[in-house]
Parts: sequence; C-alpha cells; structure tokens
Amino acid sequence: MPASPPAAGRDDGLPKPWGTIIAFLLPALTLYVGFTAYPAIRTLWNSFHRVLPRREEFIGLANYVELARDDIFWRAVRNTIVWACTSPLIEVTVALLLALALYAKVPGARFFRVAWFTPVLMSYVVVGILWLWIYNNDWGPVNVAMRALGLGAWTRPWLGDPATALPSLIFVTSWMWVGFNMVVLLAALHSLPKEVIEAAELDNCGWGGKLVFVILPLVRATLLNLIVLSFIGKMKIFDLVFITTKGNPLWATETVSTYVYKRAFEWTTFDLGYASTVATVWFVIVLATVLTLTWAFRQREKLEY
Amino acid sequence: MAIVRRSLLLIALALYTSFAAGPFVWAAMMSLRTTTEIHRNHFAFPNPAHWDKFSDAWFKSNYAVYFANSVQVVVVAVLILTVVGAMAAHCLARYKFRFNRVIYFILFSTIIFPPQITIISLFQILVQYGLYNSKLGLTLVYVAIQLPLTIYILESFFARIPADLFDAARMDGYSDWEIFWRVALPIALPAVATTVILNFILLWNEFLYAVVLITEEANRTLPLGIQRFLGDTQEDVGMIATGLMIAIIPVIVVYAFFSERLIQGMTAGAVK
Amino acid sequence: MAVVTIDKLTKVYDRGHAPAADNVSLDIADGEFMVLLGPSGCGKTTTLRMVAGLESITSGTVSIDGRVVNQVPAKDRDIAMVFQSYALYPHMSVKDNLAFGLKRRSVERAEIERRVANVAGILGLAEFLSRKPHALSGGQRQRVALGRAIVRDPKVFLFDEPLSNLDAALRVSTRGEISALHRRLGATMIYVTHDQVEAMTMGTRICIMNGGRVAQVGPPLDVYRRPANTFVASFLGNPPMTLLAAVATDRSGGRCLKVGDSEIELPPGRCPPLRPGSQVTFGIRPEHVAQSAAANGAMIPVEAEIVRVEPLGAETIVIARLPGVEKLVFARLPGDAAFAMGERRQLFLDCGMAHVFDGDGGALGAGDT
Repeated sequence: MPASPPAAGRDDGLPKPWGTIIAFLLPALTLYVGFTAYPAIRTLWNSFHRVLPRREEFIGLANYVELARDDIFWRAVRNTIVWACTSPLIEVTVALLLALALYAKVPGARFFRVAWFTPVLMSYVVVGILWLWIYNNDWGPVNVAMRALGLGAWTRPWLGDPATALPSLIFVTSWMWVGFNMVVLLAALHSLPKEVIEAAELDNCGWGGKLVFVILPLVRATLLNLIVLSFIGKMKIFDLVFITTKGNPLWATETVSTYVYKRAFEWTTFDLGYASTVATVWFVIVLATVLTLTWAFRQREKLEY
Repeated sequence: MAIVRRSLLLIALALYTSFAAGPFVWAAMMSLRTTTEIHRNHFAFPNPAHWDKFSDAWFKSNYAVYFANSVQVVVVAVLILTVVGAMAAHCLARYKFRFNRVIYFILFSTIIFPPQITIISLFQILVQYGLYNSKLGLTLVYVAIQLPLTIYILESFFARIPADLFDAARMDGYSDWEIFWRVALPIALPAVATTVILNFILLWNEFLYAVVLITEEANRTLPLGIQRFLGDTQEDVGMIATGLMIAIIPVIVVYAFFSERLIQGMTAGAVK
Repeated sequence: MAVVTIDKLTKVYDRGHAPAADNVSLDIADGEFMVLLGPSGCGKTTTLRMVAGLESITSGTVSIDGRVVNQVPAKDRDIAMVFQSYALYPHMSVKDNLAFGLKRRSVERAEIERRVANVAGILGLAEFLSRKPHALSGGQRQRVALGRAIVRDPKVFLFDEPLSNLDAALRVSTRGEISALHRRLGATMIYVTHDQVEAMTMGTRICIMNGGRVAQVGPPLDVYRRPANTFVASFLGNPPMTLLAAVATDRSGGRCLKVGDSEIELPPGRCPPLRPGSQVTFGIRPEHVAQSAAANGAMIPVEAEIVRVEPLGAETIVIARLPGVEKLVFARLPGDAAFAMGERRQLFLDCGMAHVFDGDGGALGAGDT
C-alpha cells in the first residue's frame, strides 16, 4: 500500500466533531474515572481518616505519623526494594545469555523460544503452589537432589527459614520472567544491522569483545527498558507471597502489597484508613523511583551520544 | 572443536529447557496420580493414569463452578475491553483535538500504578453500589485495570492506518461511527486479536482483585478456587495438581494456537 | 453532470503562516476536465480537498450547480475522489471495495451487482473481483480506485495525483484510459497533478497554481503558447522556456531588446513599444531556436557558444550560452543536427514566437499573435 500520511498526522481543520470524539472516548473515560481515578483519590482521602465499617473520622496526619514508626512497614519496604533491585538484574543477565545462545543460530531455536516463554503465562497462584512443592523440606526436588548429591547437611525448609525465604522467592520470580526478557532481547538482537556484527568479526573482535563493545551498547535501550519493566512488576508483587508464605516467617517475605492487604482485610482493626496511608505512601515511592529510573536512563543516553 | 562447542551449547539449552518447563511436566504427572501414589514416589510416571481425578475435581470439588465463573468474567471483560478500548484508541489515533495527548498520557501512565492505590477504595465503592462479591463488579474492575494497556497497543496500530482510507470512506458516504466499525476495526484485526489473547491470559490468571472483591464460594474464579482448595486440603497434593492443570489447560491451548501473537502482545510494551 | 464554481477560496492552516490556498477562483463547466497543475505545495491538493469537503474552508465558497456546499458534509456532495495512495480498503475484496460506496446509498442489491459488473467490465477487472487489494498489481489497484469512483456515478470526479504511483509505461496507458473515460461519461472532472504531460494531454482546461494562487487558467495549448507570466512560462514545457534578463533599447520604436551583448529585434505585434531602458524578461522556447534561418524571415541570428549537446535520437537538445549572458539557452533541434561542444556558431531565434515579460513577470503583448 503506497504511503500516505498516517491518521494522526493530519489536521483537516474541519470543525471538530466533538460529539463523535466524546462518544468514542466516553465509555473508556467513564470506566477510568469510576474504577481508577476516583478510587485513587478516595484512597488518598482515606489516608487522613480512620475508616471503620460504619464510621469515618478525620484524624489528620496521625496515620502518617504511625506509619513512620511502623517497623513491619519498613521491613516490607526493604524486602520489596531488595526484590525489585535484584530480580531484574538476574533476569536480564540470564535472559541475555540465553538470547545470545539462540541468536547464534542453534537448531530448534524456535522451540526453545516458545518453551522458555511458558512460565510467564501461568498465574502466580499456579507458580506459587508448584514452588511450594519444589521447596518442600521432605520431598521437594531441591532437597531430594541435594541429598542425592551428598549435600544433605545444607537442606532446609527453604521458604520456612528466615534467611532463605526471600531469596528463594526472588529466585521463583526470576525463573518465571527470564523467558519473557529473553524473547524481547532476542527480538532486539535480530533487529540489529547484521553488518555491524560482521564488521566486528572482521576487526578480529573475540566473542567477549563483540558482546561488550558491539552488542551490549546496541541493545542497551532494550535492556534498560526491561529492567524498568521488571522493577515495576516486582514493586507490585503480591500473589506469589500470598500463596506461598503470606509474608512469613517473621515478616521475612512481607511485601508492601501483602502488608496493605493484611492491614485492610485481615487485621481485626477493620481500619481501611491506615492501609490507605500505606498504599498512598507506596504509590508515591513507586512513582518517584520509576520516574527517577526512566530519567536517569534517558540522561545517560544523552551524555553518551 | 566447533562440534564440541555446539553440543555443549545444546546440552546447556536442553538443561535450561527442563528447568523452565520441568515444574509443569512434574505437575502434569502428579495430576494423573493419587496422593498415595505420589507419596510413595514423587517423581514417577502416572501408571496407571487416573483421568477420573479430573472429573472428581470438576464435579466434587466445585471446579466446574470456578471454571464457569472464570470463563464468564474473563470473556465478558475481554469483550467490553475490546470494544471500549478500540473506540478510545481509534479516537485518540484519528482525531486531532486539544487534550488528545493529555488524555493518552493519563491513561498510559496508569500502567505503572501499584494496584494498592485503588484496591481498598474499590472494595468500599463496590460495597456501596452492591457490586461487591458479584461477578459484574469484578468484570468492570477487570475492564478498568486492563484498559490502559489495551488502548496503548491499539492506539499505536490505529495510528498507522493511512488517513486517506478514512477520507475515502467519508467520500463513500459513511459516518464516523460506521467508519470505525467497517473500516478501522477490521483493518486493525491483527492488533485487536493480540489484545484479546493478551487480556484473556492476564485476566484468567488475575488474583489480587479477585481475592479482595470476591468472597462467596459461588462467585469464585479459578485462581481463588485453587487457593481455597489449597487451604482446605493442604496435604492432598494429587488433587491440588489436578486443579492446577484445570487452570493451566486453557492457557496452554491458547498458547498452542497463538504463541507468536501472544508473545507479541506480552512484549509489545517492552520494545522501543 | 455539474457545474463547479470556486469563488475566492482561501485556506489558512496556521494563523500567521502563508495561506495554503489564497483567493482561488475558478469556474468549471459541466463536463469539463479541469486540471490543477503546479509544483508541490502550490495549494492544488488543498483546493481539491476543499471541493471534496475533506478540508474546512477558511473563506470563499465552493458551489455545485449554483448551490453553495461549504457546510455540506463530504458524503452529501455527490462527489467521488480517486486518491494518490488509492486508499483501497485492504480488508475487502475488489468487489466489496467497488460496492462499499453504493451500499451506503441505499442502492438496491441487484442494481449494485449490475453496476459493479459493468464497471469491472469497463476497467477489465472482472477476473479480479474476489481478490484482495494486496494481491493486485499497482496498475490493477489504480483501476479499482477508478472503478470505485465510477460506480457511484457522481456529479463530480476528483483525482488527486492518481498516476504518480505508477511506473512510466502504465502512466501513459492509464492517462489514455482516463481521457477515454471522460469522453465516455461526459462528467465533470477535477484532476490534480504536478505532471505537465498529464495536464497537457488530458485537460480541457488547465489551471496553473503557484504559492496558493491561480497563475493562469485556459486550454492547455493557449496556456502553453501565451503564458501569462514567467512562472507559467518556465513551468510548462520541457526543456523549459529560456528566460533571459533584457533591457529595452531606443531602436526600432521600442521593440529592440539588448540581451547580454546581443541585440534582438522583435517583430511588430509581439510586444507593445517599450520605454527605452526598461528592464524586461525575454523568453524563447527551445523549439523556437533553430540552426539555420528559415524562410519566414523573423529569425534573428545570435552568436552562441555550445555548452552541452544531448542527442536524444529523434531530436537533439543543444544548450548554448549567448555572449554576455550568464543563463543558458535551450534549443530543440532535429536529431541529425551536428554540433560539437565548445563550438562557437550562429543560432537563430524565431522572434515571431518570442515572449516578453515586464519587470514583475507579467506577459507583455500576449494575445496579439
């Protein structure tokens, strides 16, 4: 089809068909306002109140003051941030190695690509239960394999030990998301100009040199993108923890999301206000870090070129 | 030398594949074995295969209800999402007007919102309007949470449709509304299909909103049903595995038919 | 069947910027084939889109059969348009593409079938009716685009550079087909192009536009022979008319021009007497430069240095420099003309066919021939 200006690029100057525009947008905007914007604002409003089932009272910043001294909250923040910082790096590193392996024209690359992608299609509920079993102290494959290898002394209830619970769960999310990151990176690799990589070959660049000096800089935008995306995903993590550990043992795996849920719907305080405060503060933290990350990555991009 | 390196690489890839897919194979095997058999040997092949476990789970453990609820909520939500999202995306892509980009940006930025910011109030609001603990309420919430991503994917596709086509349709006598249905939407079918499949998978797996907004047994979706079943029968590994497979199978079927399209949808936001 | 009247039509996209169409007035008679010709950005497409109703009108009016249609939406103007990109609906078969406009207009099913079959017959598309556009060649797509307009049997046909995506050979044959179609349908057509060959061969009249304004309107050969200004003179014709700065001298009653070091005397009637010393532009088309003086006598010999020779077979284009003139003179000579580069020799200007333009570029004495 011969090129003509895309729809977005042309302003015909005709009187704006406002009726049509509103008709097209109204359903989406109604849903957005009703189920996203209004709830978000109401959460903010809640955060200044004590919200009991039949009673609401204004308590100013009391919730925020309490939050500042809430050790469990800060524990949850720390866990979540550790999660959000380590998982993306693991995922992206492993994914890059796998993508490079497939890029090297391995037989069956298509099969591997499709197979590795599967974990991300499963719900965290399914994945959580599977890994509950995999980490099972008595018959989970991890401990079974370790005993078989003579490492019996190192076995433990991986999710029950405060020292290993969080790393074990981080490992699960990485297992889940590596395939996704791999597919994106592979697509990025395939879109690179072949000549550049061939030129590097002629320059007698070794395999490692090619990776560091040619490929990495070229897929860097994609890498950073994936890191931000993974980071956002881990900041929201809820289902996996809720299914496997519920934040136990001793808040070792408590995340902000699970804490908000517990404070709102499980604790017998019945106060939605405090949970709303947690959510509001967390919202601000997530927004700020994501914006900072995007900004920082942009900034460096500019400096280099 | 090259052959040795090749084979080493292939072995490594095969190992990774069994690591990535192994847990599912294991679960699939257990889903066909009884818990007693499993406890005798956790890693044996199903012999004989107990296919009747699926009908047990389906009829005796209420999976039929969970499954039907999931299908109902997800299908209706995806339908609404497709129509509402496509309308908005088409509008934002085709018409130039003030605030166009502002609206687009506001919708788009919602993608990074942590769900906690809305979930507590959604609970209050749905209770207020009698939509708490109802499939309708959950459906509407599902539409709202997937709307930004849907509009984002569709808008970028609609924006590539040449404006001449819309002009031609106008000259042919069609109204804006008809042009959307009879020209824009059919042309955007590939992108629409991508969002349909993507939304189906993501909502099929959704847990957080479901667990907050649904408590009644009769309205539970599959992930909730599995979670409840896990709580009730912690030790019945065999039946839990069967339940997991029931939740996984539709996803596998969709993936088998549309793997490329699904991968494309899931990765749409990640590539720039 | 329709008369289209464009009156002082103006289009301003951004306030403060030059208008895309500036005070365009044009009367298009019933059954006329009007070509809007000009370089890109001259406002021809904007004008066409305003007639179509795809573009708002800043000021002025468009009337069809005497009725002002400024406020009438595109779909109610009974106009069909063929787009440069063809704009075929990619998800519909050829048949559905052709029928799409009819379905909307509550034409009966059998009638739609009949008309589609008829148009497909005329355009040789009968065997492709069930194909999708992506399975067609460029020429076939072009014909579907034409067919989509014809099948509607509209009052007015609009064409927006419909041939510019075709290769050269197809362009020639399609040109002929569109002309034949015009004769056959006798409908009013407005055709936008930047290609002067299309304009010359197809138009009943052409309207040359420049910078949003109408530069000249008239039958193609009239415009070619009597360009109203230097823009039209240099735009039409290939190679273009040579335009040289000249000063009127006091000889021959104000009809003798000094061009560089040469003096050129114009025959009476070619231009009004000029005030000695006035700055004018002297224009001569390549075909009016000859290698020898012909019998009719109006030939003025000039000394020339041959700069370049382009033998094209049937003819030879010779590019020469007159003494004291920076700009080059183009000559279209017979194919057997023997010239050598760098050679100095005499050329003959057929001043009976020369043009003179005043300091502002307007033609002087045109219409006297």
